Amino acid sequence: MTRRILFNLFAWSIVLAVAFPLFWMVVTSIKPQFELFRRPPTILPETVTFEHYWRLLKETNFLIYFRNSVVLSVATTVTVVSIATLGAYSLVRFRYRGRESLAFLVLFTYLLPSVVLIIPLYLMLVTLGLANSILSLVIAYTTFALPYALWLLRSFMAGIPEDLESAALVDGASRLGAFWDVILPQLLPGIISTALFTFILSWNEYLFALVLINSDSARPLTTGVMNMLVSSFNIEWSLLMAASVMMSVPLIIVFAFLQSYLTRGFGAGGVKG
Amino acid sequence: MKYSQMTRRATLQALMAGAAVGALPGKVFAQTVNLRWWSPQGSPEQLAAYAYQIEAFHALHPDIRVTFEMTSDEGYAPQLAAAFSSGQVPDIVTHLPSFAVQSYYANGLIEPFDDVIAAIGADDFYPGANDVFRAADGQYCGTGIGNSAANMLWMRRDLMEQANIDKIPETWDELRTACAAMQTRGTFGAPLPFGRNTMTSLIFTGFIHGAGGHVFTPDLEVDIDNDGTRAALEFYREMREFCPPGATNYSWGESLTAFVSGATATGIYTGRVLVNAVLQNPAIAEHITCATYPRLSTDIAPWTFNDFPSVFIPAQSRNKDAAKLFAAFLFDPEGYIRQLHAAPGHVLPVLQSINNDPRYQDNDIIRAYSDEVELMAQAAAGGFNLGYESAEHQSNEKAGEVINAGPIADLVQRVVLNGDNVDAALSDTSRAIAEIVSG
Amino acid sequence: MSRPNTATPLERRYAMLGVILIAPTILVFCAVIVYPLFSAIYLSLFQIFTPTLQGSFVGLENYQRLFQRSEFWISLRNTLVWTIGTLTLQILLGVAMALVLHQNLWFRSLARSLILFPYFVSTVVAVLVWRWLFNDLYGILNHLMISVGLIDWPLDFLGSSPNAMISVILVGAWKYFPFVVIAVLARLQTIPEPLYEAAKIDGAGPIARFFDITLPQLREVLVVIILLRAIWDFKEFDLIFLLTGGGPLITTQTLPLLVYKEAFALNQMGMASAYAVVMMAIMLVFMVVYVLKTRNKDESR
Repeated sequence: MTRRILFNLFAWSIVLAVAFPLFWMVVTSIKPQFELFRRPPTILPETVTFEHYWRLLKETNFLIYFRNSVVLSVATTVTVVSIATLGAYSLVRFRYRGRESLAFLVLFTYLLPSVVLIIPLYLMLVTLGLANSILSLVIAYTTFALPYALWLLRSFMAGIPEDLESAALVDGASRLGAFWDVILPQLLPGIISTALFTFILSWNEYLFALVLINSDSARPLTTGVMNMLVSSFNIEWSLLMAASVMMSVPLIIVFAFLQSYLTRGFGAGGVKG
Repeated sequence: MKYSQMTRRATLQALMAGAAVGALPGKVFAQTVNLRWWSPQGSPEQLAAYAYQIEAFHALHPDIRVTFEMTSDEGYAPQLAAAFSSGQVPDIVTHLPSFAVQSYYANGLIEPFDDVIAAIGADDFYPGANDVFRAADGQYCGTGIGNSAANMLWMRRDLMEQANIDKIPETWDELRTACAAMQTRGTFGAPLPFGRNTMTSLIFTGFIHGAGGHVFTPDLEVDIDNDGTRAALEFYREMREFCPPGATNYSWGESLTAFVSGATATGIYTGRVLVNAVLQNPAIAEHITCATYPRLSTDIAPWTFNDFPSVFIPAQSRNKDAAKLFAAFLFDPEGYIRQLHAAPGHVLPVLQSINNDPRYQDNDIIRAYSDEVELMAQAAAGGFNLGYESAEHQSNEKAGEVINAGPIADLVQRVVLNGDNVDAALSDTSRAIAEIVSG
Repeated sequence: MSRPNTATPLERRYAMLGVILIAPTILVFCAVIVYPLFSAIYLSLFQIFTPTLQGSFVGLENYQRLFQRSEFWISLRNTLVWTIGTLTLQILLGVAMALVLHQNLWFRSLARSLILFPYFVSTVVAVLVWRWLFNDLYGILNHLMISVGLIDWPLDFLGSSPNAMISVILVGAWKYFPFVVIAVLARLQTIPEPLYEAAKIDGAGPIARFFDITLPQLREVLVVIILLRAIWDFKEFDLIFLLTGGGPLITTQTLPLLVYKEAFALNQMGMASAYAVVMMAIMLVFMVVYVLKTRNKDESR
């Protein structure tokens, strides 16, 4: 029993250490401005205030950026996951020439550094008339999200027994019918897990958003918050921390619920390279 | 041609005078024109002022719509690069440093600005205010939307009194002594930047000039290896112990916060200090004052760093006429004063008539610190930067790249933080700058 | 959604369908990845001014100059130090934490959520929080360390060498180790319990059980994770750029930062592309070697 308690104490002290920045973020966000620059810093706020949150919501474009980020991440996730699911299905269950090299190419494109893609991509987006829009970022994010999603889904797909599909085909289902009725339900944990990863990637991206987006109507949270609060004349630490909390809390809530999918999904097939 | 320019000028001037509001459209546009306006300066107060200017302009020109889009000091280079290379450019850009404008102009990316300057009234500018924007071909590549005196020495009288310092330092020796006297357990002497960033490059260039040195010769040969640079490096190294430990990573924001929060006894910044102190640390606000930054000796003239926040119009803009109208309108007293009041003392007027305008003077901070603001206005008007090191210097279109690539900040870091040999570091820096200049 | 016509050979129809299904992927790949890739290689043969994209053909001169530059070699070394350092920590921490979280812990799902948190937050948020924690004047870390008596002068976490590299590596490990936790935890849940029972009966202690059963079972997943994380870490831009900007000097300047600086600070798009192409080549070599090595081992077992 003592061993169990000791183990728990040990484990929880690590967990709390890892989560300390989260705690500090929250604490800083509810300190009034004058307490922020106190030296030495106060650990627990002497005065609690929510004015920073109010200021963000009322006086800034925070909500617009937030909406943009949500739209952007959802759109990217839906696009990428649908394309990748079809692609993975094809790569795993169909035989045609060039299939193997295609799979390797996927991994190769995963190597491309974003910095190189920016200018050519930007020129292309301008030609398409999409510059400075949320859609342009969706397209840009596809560059790094698609290879990863395809790669993940391919291994999930490989983990689904072929017999199931064969049985459905024998029963007279069409190939796509079998895909819809048999494969997709089996693949669901994998899809959810891939979707979560894609969502995280697009929610967090900074560089493309910095270069490609210039108007507040399309700017996502990452660059929006930096632009708004970190400038050469001021670093609004209290507002930044309040913004950070608000940027993170929705994700934490969502992932607290889907957390088991994340790990379960990865176990089902993600391990097969 | 001459004629049409005259009429436009006359129209603009009429507009400037504020006569017959709405009755004098500068030009009738076939359809509604949308202008995109970029600036890296966008504090909430400034945004409110911009919004006012945009509305006022729209009232005069219902067929022109202006949209403000914020860029950032770190972001403008890649964003403009992407914009220029694609042809989807903003129609007007403000608050970029003058040397960036020169670099773009030299590559044919910017519209000459002479007619707008004429429309605003060339005589109204402080004498020489537009020299920094004169390009190699004799035309102007833009003009200043404001001045900034970015390396003012900020002092706290209360700390000076405690440390028995009776006058504001004018030389480096005096500054060092003062910092040593004022440095206590909780307070450091100065927030000089040692970071690998543009502030360090920009500010240190000021120190080089503060010792009578230069980075380029007047005809733009690289000549950073001189006695002035060496003296500046030596002084900067001595100052390290009076700066907070994290100064090795300081840029504008950190440096400003250090002084305003009371963590350092002196500061080096623009007049933004005033409004931040009043809002964030009222306890010190009544004690602060400023002076031009000390030099090696009083024989050397002060060298005020002014990045000359600019206005310019990209050559690829499809609505240059409308953009020019709007550019000139930005200087219309009503809106211009609001813009300046958004950060009093930070962006200073470039027009003498505005500086003398009672409406401009009618501001709590400008009234409370009238001596400081006047001093900054004078210092900034006679200021310089790397693109314009002295009145003798030709305009240097490579200054932007030299600042952004950072060989000068690297020099500071090598010598001050790494303790590298000064000769070796200087010769490497000379080579690095020469390489950037040769492209 | 056409039903298969039994009149035509089924296999060929299936192949057609397969191609149709992969078509969107290939299209997107060509548009957003292959095209920019070729333009990068093409641009690397020119000397190009970024804002105008005007320039002159210089052949392989960019590459020649690049290998002569000490800045390239330093940045490459930094990239390797950063990648290896942060990756090692991620794997060690990640596996250890996964093992802990696999046990019966009080409030286990809360603990899991808290551990996964760093991976969810934006890099921007992570960097800001850490910069605030690291702050020399108002930072809690310095304050705590001083009050415990560890140091008596604030530590300069990000502005001096080698502190900066260490800090960057630590923040990187903190940010990305949950990814390893996720993958390893998932795998742990699939290891059959009887394996452990049998080992217990044979008298194997917990440490022996870890090395004899757990580790071999994790091998496959670790091979994959290391490959994935190595590529991401090698390419990492946001975190380092926002945390130190490559400083002090160029001690934390990795290759992606060098590419960015060349492209947008120096406006040399050609040179930047050359750096990027070399960077990809290096990654490709590493990847091929790695894949071959791990595959050979798998086959020999």
